[in-house]
Amino acid sequence: MSFVIFKNLAGRIHAMGEAIFFLKDVLKVMFSGRVRFAQVLEQMYYQGVQSVVIIILSSLATGVVLGLQGSITLQRFGAREFIAPLVALSLLRELSPVFTTFIYSGKSGAGITAELGTMNTHEQIQATRTLGVDPIEFLVVPRFLACVLVMPALVVISELVGMFGGYLVAIFQAQLPSAIYIRQTIQSIHYVDFFSGLVKAFFFSVIVAWICCYQGFFTSGGALGVGRFTTRAVAYSYMAVILSNAVLTMFILTFWG
Amino acid sequence: MIKVEHLSKTLGGQKVLNDISFEVATGEILIFLGPSGIGKTVLLKHLIGLFQPDQGTVIVNGTDITKLSQSQQLKIRKDFGYLFQEGALYDFMNVFENVAFPLREHTSLNYQQIRQRVREVLDMVDLDEVEAKMPSELSGGMKKRVGLARAIVLGAKVLLCDEPTSGLDPIRSRDISDLIRQVAKKIGATTVIMSHDVHNSFRIADRLAILNDGAIEVVGRPQDLLSCDHSFVKEFLKPAAV
Repeated sequence: MSFVIFKNLAGRIHAMGEAIFFLKDVLKVMFSGRVRFAQVLEQMYYQGVQSVVIIILSSLATGVVLGLQGSITLQRFGAREFIAPLVALSLLRELSPVFTTFIYSGKSGAGITAELGTMNTHEQIQATRTLGVDPIEFLVVPRFLACVLVMPALVVISELVGMFGGYLVAIFQAQLPSAIYIRQTIQSIHYVDFFSGLVKAFFFSVIVAWICCYQGFFTSGGALGVGRFTTRAVAYSYMAVILSNAVLTMFILTFWG
Repeated sequence: MIKVEHLSKTLGGQKVLNDISFEVATGEILIFLGPSGIGKTVLLKHLIGLFQPDQGTVIVNGTDITKLSQSQQLKIRKDFGYLFQEGALYDFMNVFENVAFPLREHTSLNYQQIRQRVREVLDMVDLDEVEAKMPSELSGGMKKRVGLARAIVLGAKVLLCDEPTSGLDPIRSRDISDLIRQVAKKIGATTVIMSHDVHNSFRIADRLAILNDGAIEVVGRPQDLLSCDHSFVKEFLKPAAV
């Protein structure tokens, strides 16, 4: 029994070390300038298009729900006009970065793992090495970099669409004047609210890109393995984002406000 | 020329290669025969540096590739052609892009020159009008031909083939075997093939080696092996004897 636990633990430590070396290799290629920009753009297009519609729909719904719940709760305290700051700050500081990352890792992140995993099981990654090309440079870095560039942009889209959802509720359900809602939204947003969300989005994008590329690159076990590693990539991304969000939030509130 | 000396490798606690030594002369075709799962692919991957041995050296054209760093290995692989069992074509590229890929990576040829060279090698492997097709639209035999075209497009000095006839019917197996010999001799490549296809191996090899339990049982010319007294060799070569 203890042998099995030890073996399992040793396996996890080995995988963690492997993942750290993998990230080191990816960063080394990126910072040595061996970036294939045409492929990065292609990946940005695929990853962005894959996720943008679902992010718009879910952000709109999130903004509407925030507006509805906010208007009912705030009405009890006679503070109905504070819907705007509630919606804006909730979205900018927490909901948009976290929800967008969840949706992105479930769609594009899973796609990255499945693609790289299938290539690995069909020996295409090894074939790249035999052709004298570094597979990290050719297959991983474009996906990794596209993820890091696209996700913050999607977070900004999510914030704007979510605030629009809150606006619709405030105007049509809570009967707030449009000008007041817009003025309150603008007045309540400080630069720290916007940039703290972007900082989170950047960290989350690195986490998702790292986990999904790593799981795909080291996929084994044929079609079954591709399914298993893809599921694992999404689950690990969710856990890592939730945990790192707690740490980042504490850090931002302590040092930034 | 390839010279392997005292090569050993243990994987998952099992000794897959045990003190293997052999030489392949420039332009020669050496075929390793052996049952499935005996370590043929592991040996082949050592010859191109995809595996690092526990012991031993692999000298290819005067360079010990076991001593090279990963980036140095990537550089020398321009001189290698590796044919995978299933072709290992990029499924997001069509046939033309797959074959053109090494040219785009390692040469400064323009589009017209690349197009011409791709046509030349596709002609060499008897493929016509497939350039626009995706790998998913090709049969198993065609995938191997495209894989072979991609392997030789830079004019490989060393050609390594992993089970080139597996999964093919007898006629396609004969065709691809003949094609490999014809292409290897035409470009003068030193060729190592891993196979369990006894019949075709006897037809195309300059020399044969029988691999069993991680060691070479016997090496020699096809006609010499037929008269060998070793019990495993006799048993394994029964189809050729018949």
